[in-house]
Amino acid sequence: MNSVGEGCTDLKREYDQCFNRWFAEKFLKGDRSGDPCTEMFKKYQHCVQKAIKEKDIPIDGVEFMGPNKDKP
Amino acid sequence: MKIWSTEHVFSYPWETVIKAAMRKYPNPMNPSVVGVDVLDRNLDPEGRLHSHRLLSTEWGLPGIVRAIMGTSHTRTYVKEHSIVDPEEKTMELCSTNITLTNLVSVDERLVYRPHPDNPDVTVLTQEAIITVKGVSLSSYLEGMMALRMSANARKSAGRTPRTVEHRQTTSSGNIGN
Repeated sequence: MNSVGEGCTDLKREYDQCFNRWFAEKFLKGDRSGDPCTEMFKKYQHCVQKAIKEKDIPIDGVEFMGPNKDKP
Repeated sequence: MKIWSTEHVFSYPWETVIKAAMRKYPNPMNPSVVGVDVLDRNLDPEGRLHSHRLLSTEWGLPGIVRAIMGTSHTRTYVKEHSIVDPEEKTMELCSTNITLTNLVSVDERLVYRPHPDNPDVTVLTQEAIITVKGVSLSSYLEGMMALRMSANARKSAGRTPRTVEHRQTTSSGNIGN
């Protein structure tokens, strides 16, 4: 799967691999120890935010129905 | 305004289904999604994981719809907010389009929960509200979009389980999202 910024796809895939591993092996098993993907995410984000600005994608200030705050 | 909702049952436990749901794209059953990016991710004080994602989609609108809408741009963007609660075992995703908003509004909500009677089974409830604005054929277009989305949702019967089966047969996933 690609990133919205063509040059960001490699950074994205690296981050996704890290996240998916943490999500499956730590988060879902109740392990709240630190997120090992923070640095990777920062690099990836820097690239994506630049691409969003360049393509003028309107990500800010959008209201939409949020998830229910009340638990069922 | 058109509202549709659907429910689907996966014969897999909740953790398995949401691990696959997080990695849903790319998926040949829904080729409209051509890009996915995470904009933000954090844990709230209750330990729930929030993710904000940007999805790029190519809708392949029929020519007549593009002509009515007055645009030949078929690349649209969708913003998605998801919350995973590992204690309550719920995953909720809400998304809305952020382009073409002067023409159409598509708000979608998906919730994955274990089946109340069987923890080895997961229920997905999916609903959408579609509103086409300022077009005299709005009901017709909304109906068409609802049909398209409904068809995609039915295809999702193969979507997540395909990802689930793929995951279960590969030991280390190198499947990008």
